[in-house]
Amino acid sequence: MTLRVAIEGVSFWASRLPGWETARAVMTGEQPPPEAASTRPSPTLLAPTERRRAPDTVAVALEVAARACEAAGRKPSDLPSVFASTHGDLAISDYMCSTLATTPALISPIKFHNSVHNAAAGYWSIGTGSLAPYTAISSYLYTFAEGLVEAATQVVCEQRPVLYVAFDIEAKGALATMASSRGLLGAALVLAPVSQARQHRSLMLTTESVGECHPTPARSAAAPLVADNALAPCLPFFEALASSQPRTLSLALGRQMALNVQVN
Amino acid sequence: MSATQSAGERELAELIVTALNLEGVAPADIDPEAPLFKTGLGLDSIDALELALEISKRYGFQLRSDDENNVRIFSSLRSLAAHIEQNRVTA
Repeated sequence: MTLRVAIEGVSFWASRLPGWETARAVMTGEQPPPEAASTRPSPTLLAPTERRRAPDTVAVALEVAARACEAAGRKPSDLPSVFASTHGDLAISDYMCSTLATTPALISPIKFHNSVHNAAAGYWSIGTGSLAPYTAISSYLYTFAEGLVEAATQVVCEQRPVLYVAFDIEAKGALATMASSRGLLGAALVLAPVSQARQHRSLMLTTESVGECHPTPARSAAAPLVADNALAPCLPFFEALASSQPRTLSLALGRQMALNVQVN
Repeated sequence: MSATQSAGERELAELIVTALNLEGVAPADIDPEAPLFKTGLGLDSIDALELALEISKRYGFQLRSDDENNVRIFSSLRSLAAHIEQNRVTA
């Protein structure tokens, strides 16, 4: 299978890499990472009622989603979207499990409301007033690559631009011993059909059955800053985008399925 | 000029602001007679459920979602604080 799509917009957020411009410069070695960690972004596009309830997943996902649409010059409400997260909101999942184990009648309705895997996608569609379809997916270690294939497939099949958002947050409590993840990491792309008229960077995605996947390792100075986050497998992809030269890399779609990515 | 809060009303106002993460609202500024929902503080049904949970944890009695008096009980800080005072089982 081969998919070709254009990249109209890119965004990235981690506490030591707050924004694509900073992240790109650190990945290319043009500047060192900032010494100080940035505070969690505020999802300003939400109405006050939603904003005060927004957990970390929503804050980081909406930040990168909005910045990618801005970079692409696209109106957020026009775009179908794909939201991918390895673990969803692990902090809330841990809260739900520990509360159910101890005082099951005392579950917080707001935390329950925010616990679903598609919470970020839902807040996005409410905040932007979008009626476009959205997809929320998870595929454990392979989440970023699977989400990328999903978004690119929608672009090619529907012949319209699609917003792709990936994010993971810090694990808490007992669940952190089973599914570790540190810090906040979010990244987003606006992908579009390849057009002769408009010059954008583009991706060619090809799947390949292999004996064992050997994804391209991250190697920039940005890598240690996000290596402990569950979404870290996305980093080599953004390192390739940070370079102005064409690059190829391999992401894992499964234990024995590789996604070969050509960044043009 | 808003009415003065009693000690119980102030304690409840602090619980509301903290539990619902109300941005830019100082507990002392909540008018005890103003509506909590829709107008006033602008709370909604999910906030009501969250508030009921926090009240039951703090004051040791259950606010039931099917209580026919809920509209009156939740109408203002004053009426909610009075209901808590009548029903609380923890000091």
